[in-house]
Amino acid sequence: MKRSKKVLALAVIFLLVSTMFLGACSNDTADDTKEPQTDENSEGTGDELAEAEVDIFQFKVEIAEKLQEAAREFEAENPNVKVNIETVGGGDDYGAALRAKFQSGQEPDIYNVGGPQDVEDWMSKLEDLSDEPWVDQALDGVLSGVTVEDKVYALPFAIEGYGFIYNKAIFEDAGIDVADIKDYSSLESAVKELDSKIKAGDLEDDYPLLEAVFSYPAKETWVTGLHTSNVALSQEFDSSLDSFDADKVAFEHGDGLKALIDLQADYSPYADSKAKLNAVDYATQVDEGIALERVAIIQQGNWIYGGVNDIDENVAQKLDILPMPIAGAKEDSIPVGVPMYWTVNKNSEDADKAASKAFLNWLYTSEKGKEYVVNEFFFIPPLKGYDNLEPKDSLGQAVKRYAEAGKTTPWVFMGYPTGWGMDALGVEIQKYFAGEVTWEELISNSQAKWEEMR
Amino acid sequence: MNNYKKWFPIFVGPILLAFLMVVIIPMIVGIYFSFTDWNGITNTPNWVGIENYIKAFSDEKFGDAFKFTASFAVVSVFTINIIGFGLALLVTKKMKISNFLRSIFFMPNLIGGIILGFVWQFIFTKGFASLGSIFGWSFLEGWLSTTATGFWGLVILMSWQMSGYMMIIYIAAIQSIPDSLIEASQIDGANGLQKLRHIILPLVAPAFTVGIFLSLSNSFKLFDQNLALTGGGPYDSTQMLALNIYKTAFTMNKLGLAQAKAVVFLLAVAVITVTQLYYSKKREVEM
Repeated sequence: MKRSKKVLALAVIFLLVSTMFLGACSNDTADDTKEPQTDENSEGTGDELAEAEVDIFQFKVEIAEKLQEAAREFEAENPNVKVNIETVGGGDDYGAALRAKFQSGQEPDIYNVGGPQDVEDWMSKLEDLSDEPWVDQALDGVLSGVTVEDKVYALPFAIEGYGFIYNKAIFEDAGIDVADIKDYSSLESAVKELDSKIKAGDLEDDYPLLEAVFSYPAKETWVTGLHTSNVALSQEFDSSLDSFDADKVAFEHGDGLKALIDLQADYSPYADSKAKLNAVDYATQVDEGIALERVAIIQQGNWIYGGVNDIDENVAQKLDILPMPIAGAKEDSIPVGVPMYWTVNKNSEDADKAASKAFLNWLYTSEKGKEYVVNEFFFIPPLKGYDNLEPKDSLGQAVKRYAEAGKTTPWVFMGYPTGWGMDALGVEIQKYFAGEVTWEELISNSQAKWEEMR
Repeated sequence: MNNYKKWFPIFVGPILLAFLMVVIIPMIVGIYFSFTDWNGITNTPNWVGIENYIKAFSDEKFGDAFKFTASFAVVSVFTINIIGFGLALLVTKKMKISNFLRSIFFMPNLIGGIILGFVWQFIFTKGFASLGSIFGWSFLEGWLSTTATGFWGLVILMSWQMSGYMMIIYIAAIQSIPDSLIEASQIDGANGLQKLRHIILPLVAPAFTVGIFLSLSNSFKLFDQNLALTGGGPYDSTQMLALNIYKTAFTMNKLGLAQAKAVVFLLAVAVITVTQLYYSKKREVEM
């Protein structure tokens, strides 16, 4: 008996120790990639690249797998180059992980930055990409956030747009014509009409779960503090560079912003106890909200398509985007911008740098690369020359429709003082819902924070 | 004695080296960074003197986080140790399922804090809400959306997780009490409560020192559960010290200021736990 216990204890210790080692090692093996397949007959991309190894450290989890496939294809065309991809998801986590990566001495060759503040912080590690072929093909405005003194430092991932995503079928069944919704007052009356129909039970047969018009996730301060506020502040600043340079914020359209926030709160399931909105998160709003037809409109962007599609393909097909109107400003548009950029490390070896530039160029301008960008990553391309490749998802098409019609406003939240949108304004909005501050206090507190954080 | 001297460096050396490398040296580097404007990217930060410390002390949110953490620590030290001790008393009764119960009570301790945080977030926001709507108890609805429910949510989560661990410590202490003492008290006519009050509690006091120390320092250093359960929300009112420091560093990109806060944090936790150890030690009785 004693003996067997000893054996057991030893086995447990062995197990624990070995998992520790395995855990430590798996990090190295994870990004070990297959040897490049050398294909003698491949055509190559013209210029022969020197022997090089490109280390990519990127943050978009959704494309990690497809990006690997794209890299394998690039390797097949360029047998001298080996591409290693490592992915760390999430906003804060990526920034922290990237810092750790640079601190540890394993500097990646290609990494991501988010906007003017990042460009300033990382300036000593950014390669000037102004001479790359894609610069000329970039859509209007997509490079402004990463251009300093006429030098372009980064390639946009994609363009994304957000607005009031709504369920077309619910509106049709309620007899509301969305073509009439062009400004704030028409939106408000449509919302009121829909609300009264939901409360009267008119839609209960077709949509048994439908309980309110909106779901507003005040817990996700990026939705409130960054995205909602951007609708008002993009009327005040012309671009993210403008907001990045601003010492003060005036909230010229503060009333319009209040109206948008109140509208989403007043017609949510928690209209009577708004403090509870502070516990509503992304999953409640998207996965358990719009995807289950529990609500009819949410403020979100085209990135939710994949998630909704996984839950209910029919609902995903019914989605479209309504403008987010600020009364008395540009009312029929949605905010469109670039979420993240690719950059090349200035301090990498020359051969690696050349290969890195070639890879980005291949991914966004070659036919094969474009195919990946649009059909595998589901990106809305930030460059011209994608005419024959249409986005396949309903929300991507909607964003493209707004972009082509010129009904867009810029994403100026990229230029907010670091942390201001989420940790100052977003938190103030939570306090506003909890009844801790009035709207006037919210505005003055947020203004004071802006000046303090600049 | 000679042998001792010869072997000392061989046994202590490797551990000392590791300790120096992963604790002492990083701490000294960290203290250095707290006097600079380091942003985590360049390794040539500017020396700014005690500016970061002034900022840390004038940071309202840091003060709020300190208060919140302190009140959380006080409450959870009580709940964790009382529940843990209660469980220990329960499973040291000669019951058939004692061993089974011990594993069950210890189990939560084996689950990672992040996962626990998300599991309990689901229980609080979804489970409680549906119970509330079934029975019409409105106090069960909207959990984690107010400061008070966020606070008690954290207390419940931590008590649930840590009590099992404390239970193990108390079981060991209770079992080491000689039966003769218990029997003697029974012969003297002590009832259950008197036995607990005058025999068991004094003899378990050393375990209480350890238990309170562990739960106190763990409550102060709490991070994962806080991040996963409330994320500091609503409006940063349930943000604890470690989370505040993390956000200063990686959301605000002020690593120097965060480092200064961390030094203040380290000193505060050290002072509080050492004081606690000193006073608890005094109460212990030798057998």
